[in-house]
Amino acid sequence: MEQKFISNEKVKALTKKLIPDYEIFYPRRQEESWDWARMEADSEFTFEGHRTVLPLKYFFYSPQENLVEKKKDKPRIIFGARGCDTKGLSLLKKIYLEDPEDPHFRKDILVFSADCTTYHPDCFCTVLGDQPWATENFDLNFSIVENGYLVSVGSDAGAKFLKDHGGFFESARSEQEKSMSSHRTSFEEELKKFNGNKVLDLKDLESKIEKHSDVFKEYGKTCVSCSSCTNVCSSCFCFFLSEGDENKIRYMDSCQLKSYARVAGGANPREDLIERFKHRFTCKFVYRPQMQGFGGCTGCGRCTAGCQGKIDFQEVLIKVAEAK
Amino acid sequence: MDPYKTINCKVIKIIEETSLIKTFILEPEKKFSFATGQFIQLTMPKIGESPFTPSSSQFAKGPFEVTIMKAGRVTEKLHELKANDTVGIRGPLGTSYPLSEFEGKEVLLLGGGVGMAPLRSLLLTLLYEKDKYNKITLLYGAKNPADIVYRDQFESWKKRGAEICRTVDAADKDWKEKEGVVTCLFDDYSVNPKNGVAVVCGPPIMMKFGTFKLLELGYAPESIYLSMEKNMSCGIGKCGHCGVGKYFACKDGPVFKYSLIKDIEGIWE
Repeated sequence: MEQKFISNEKVKALTKKLIPDYEIFYPRRQEESWDWARMEADSEFTFEGHRTVLPLKYFFYSPQENLVEKKKDKPRIIFGARGCDTKGLSLLKKIYLEDPEDPHFRKDILVFSADCTTYHPDCFCTVLGDQPWATENFDLNFSIVENGYLVSVGSDAGAKFLKDHGGFFESARSEQEKSMSSHRTSFEEELKKFNGNKVLDLKDLESKIEKHSDVFKEYGKTCVSCSSCTNVCSSCFCFFLSEGDENKIRYMDSCQLKSYARVAGGANPREDLIERFKHRFTCKFVYRPQMQGFGGCTGCGRCTAGCQGKIDFQEVLIKVAEAK
Repeated sequence: MDPYKTINCKVIKIIEETSLIKTFILEPEKKFSFATGQFIQLTMPKIGESPFTPSSSQFAKGPFEVTIMKAGRVTEKLHELKANDTVGIRGPLGTSYPLSEFEGKEVLLLGGGVGMAPLRSLLLTLLYEKDKYNKITLLYGAKNPADIVYRDQFESWKKRGAEICRTVDAADKDWKEKEGVVTCLFDDYSVNPKNGVAVVCGPPIMMKFGTFKLLELGYAPESIYLSMEKNMSCGIGKCGHCGVGKYFACKDGPVFKYSLIKDIEGIWE
């Protein structure tokens, strides 16, 4: 589909126009990191940068929520979601929206992603063979070009949005398209170089995880089962269903917690911490690809950044994947 | 349709099976049916939910039965229920016993303790159409005579055509049947693994040694069916709790062919 251009001034005017009808979020810079902020009429923003501290997933469901029919909130627009987060939505949508559909997973969200222009020291999407821009699950994508953004369409909803707000966009010029490609290529190269130009072959990971379980013993030594890694993961989806006073409540749960798999009577298939640590890798790289068709890791590196035990999850993965 | 919404059920009657086990006869407010082996989530309002496989026949109309052992926070509260109280259910959930695969075969049910609950449902379902199966056998073990569930019903099942052998780990002076763990029943009972299927349900350790015994007797892994008890929470394959390797016990199970899960680490724990 034809790409569009929107100038910096027009993006500001567009968001101002959208604020009454949508709840809008964007990545706000906080020194060296980015957090999600609500867009106000006077918000200063840019879509430069890299993934936020917290993942995109919590816009689609809450870490803790009453499972009652909600008051109709305004639909949401999320600007500046990164490729790792939109990729993570594939598994989340497969789990939550299929067989049966979970009515509490929001479907009224427009994802307006943006290409990464910087990286967090823990980013490793390229090590998994992915790119630092959105390739799926976005409605519109914004790539920075001179004085504005090149806008690509990723869905019918995105195309409709462009049509409905046509006045803000203009046809993209070929030099803008070239500029976007060259930015993408050079930034991808930069990130690859930062990650040692490594692209892992994840084919035989199932047998390697078993064969090299010593790696998990070694790296799991400092794990304190705090569940940070699963909480901030772009695609961890587990929750616990509980009873509220008048309704069911769901809250995010973690396979890293000891009580997670315990059954009535006390039996627990994963009482051992190392088993839980290993289980998370197996789930992400073996079980979910086999059963849901989508992997559970997108290389955002939030698990490493959030780890209380200073475990470098990328290093663990590389160690197992490159073992003979 | 919200899969987390419950159907209210009235507690019609409560039967004390043992000191720790009760059977609840529940009448759903709305039309409800299940296939034998499927489970439900039973909600104790404001307390929590626990998964149970109904213990009554899938062909029984109206009220259905759930047998519950007191084993934790939710089941303790469930045991305080009285007739006319209300509970909630969600379901039916998960896979059922594949009855069509059992037709024309000798069906062996191997049960231990409260694991008899799903097997009772299967047994009653099989007996309802017993001409479809070559033979229906129940081998059942309990810790001691006082721990036997459905104690007054075994005779009637025999009369309806089931072959039944029982054992207890520790007999008392009145016990006239076998003594020993459940697998000792095979000492006196000859099976037909070539044209037979076996269904196992009980405590993990019993399921493990029961399954190994069946394999030793010549049952193919494809002919052994297990009801896997895991920590089902959502019951619809979303919350992740009941993982058995790559499978979710709530959706891909709870009834699994042993051949499907035999290589998964820790299934007996």
